[in-house]
Amino acid sequence: MRHCRRVWAFERVRTTLAASLCLACANFGLAAYGQLTYAEEVPRLTFAQLVDSIRANFEVTQTMKSYNGKEVEIHGFIIPAGPPDLSFFLLSRVSAMGNYCCEVPVGQDETVYVYAPKGVKILYDPLRVYKVRGAFEAGPYTDRIYGVSLFRVRNARVEEAVGAKIFKVGETPAPTPSK
Amino acid sequence: MTILMVALKYLRGRFVASALTSLSVALGVSLVVASVLLSRGIQQGFIEGTTDYSLLVGAKGSPTQLVLNVVFRMDVPTPNISYSTYGQLRDDPRVEVAVPVAMGDAYQGYRYVATTGGYFAAFPWRRKTFAISEGRFFRDDPPEQPMYEAMLGADAARLTGLRVGDRFHEGEEMAEYPMTVVGILRSTNSADDRAIFFSLASYWEMNEVSRKMKVKPLTAVLVRPKRMSDLAGLHRGVNVTAETQAVFPSAVLLNIFNVLRLVDAVIAIILAFVVLVVLLYLFVSMYSATLERKREIATMRALGARRATILGIVLLESCALAVIGGAFGIAGGHGVAYLGASMLAGRGGPVANLFAVGALEPVVFGSVVALGALAGLLPAVLAYRTEVAENLAPLS
Repeated sequence: MRHCRRVWAFERVRTTLAASLCLACANFGLAAYGQLTYAEEVPRLTFAQLVDSIRANFEVTQTMKSYNGKEVEIHGFIIPAGPPDLSFFLLSRVSAMGNYCCEVPVGQDETVYVYAPKGVKILYDPLRVYKVRGAFEAGPYTDRIYGVSLFRVRNARVEEAVGAKIFKVGETPAPTPSK
Repeated sequence: MTILMVALKYLRGRFVASALTSLSVALGVSLVVASVLLSRGIQQGFIEGTTDYSLLVGAKGSPTQLVLNVVFRMDVPTPNISYSTYGQLRDDPRVEVAVPVAMGDAYQGYRYVATTGGYFAAFPWRRKTFAISEGRFFRDDPPEQPMYEAMLGADAARLTGLRVGDRFHEGEEMAEYPMTVVGILRSTNSADDRAIFFSLASYWEMNEVSRKMKVKPLTAVLVRPKRMSDLAGLHRGVNVTAETQAVFPSAVLLNIFNVLRLVDAVIAIILAFVVLVVLLYLFVSMYSATLERKREIATMRALGARRATILGIVLLESCALAVIGGAFGIAGGHGVAYLGASMLAGRGGPVANLFAVGALEPVVFGSVVALGALAGLLPAVLAYRTEVAENLAPLS
């Protein structure tokens, strides 16, 4: 009788463990799938596209404006122009730290104003490319604290842009947005 | 009698051992809480105490030294730059505001900061506001007519005992140029509270080297551009010259935070060992108590107590020790953090928001109770498996 009870208890524990494992796997799989789908859906904008979209009178094209309010991804260097919690910073095509590198961005067209109200926790490196995702805004706007801007990303999330794509000879390096 | 009451009676029964076990838990928890609070507070202190200016221009050298000295009044000043650098930046069409700053001597350790009225000006983009609590701001006097008027930060005034109208100097050489206190600032919760401000003209005249110079020296220039997007260009423009460097104060602080993260990682490893030692101590304490009590447990079992009840009593006892230790540890950790912050503040270190409400306390308390239950699990199983017949046999 005692032996039977022990066997029954062992079986129950085994069943519970197996069920928990299955649930955990399912959850992990769904999360991974969700991230994959999310990554595919977010269009990536490049600085070249931002520059091309600028028209006279500081206006931007309707194509670029069609991204307004939508989640986009932009890769660039962080210029910590705001507080050190990175609740605001500039995203630039070129690192501001190199004194020998290419031409520095000179205007609004090659700088994205990034707002992250809760701040950003990253290992900051001025010479590293970061991937910024958030709600995109195009068009002139004057912020009380940070002044006039042309392109903005709000509620931004930031991570290192690891695993940059390697292009073969003849391939176009600039990625095209999905839309 | 509930199992909780039995567990508490057991704790009271071996009061000294229970108190020592709780004390060890409390000490471990205090160490963890104080470390986290201080680390977070120092980082927050740097964030809140930083300048609202986006660019800092100074002599070539260490960017960290430049920011720590000019913004946080730490370290020694970087070498001088020419006043003409300030002129060029002021006249640059991309610059909205440029404020010259000269740093050097101190009075009773409170740094002299020579600047212009622009340093205290209010702008829509400035988080920090300066207000006078007593007296007035010093005058921007012309270079040929220095007034030697000084304005003190709130802490500098309080800790030196200087009042409006008092005259002071430090060192024999400065006796010819005593400063007169004309105003005291309200607290800004920044390094400016520990500074003594006066005009550039007064500063140049009271120092022999600058008195003889035709083009006067400065330590740094604080710069705010009209458009943030011009920052990169301004930064590069200054940095390609041989004499000056431009730094983003936030970039320097982020680099300091990167170093602090490494320190935090080392502290986390040490704290993990502390937690392990405390856990082992709690386990040994509960294990020995259970071994001592085998006869009592057998008696309870013989009187009809179920195995699960015995298991529950030992687990509750272990959790109770963890709860007491955790509660005292969290309170003690806050006390230690407060003392540490006071010591750091006394040395000019930035510490802020030490006791901001967060998830730390509930997470630590929950973890301590869970670890307490874990430490008591094996002794509880031992008690659960106590055989009545074996342990009720006559001792002789």
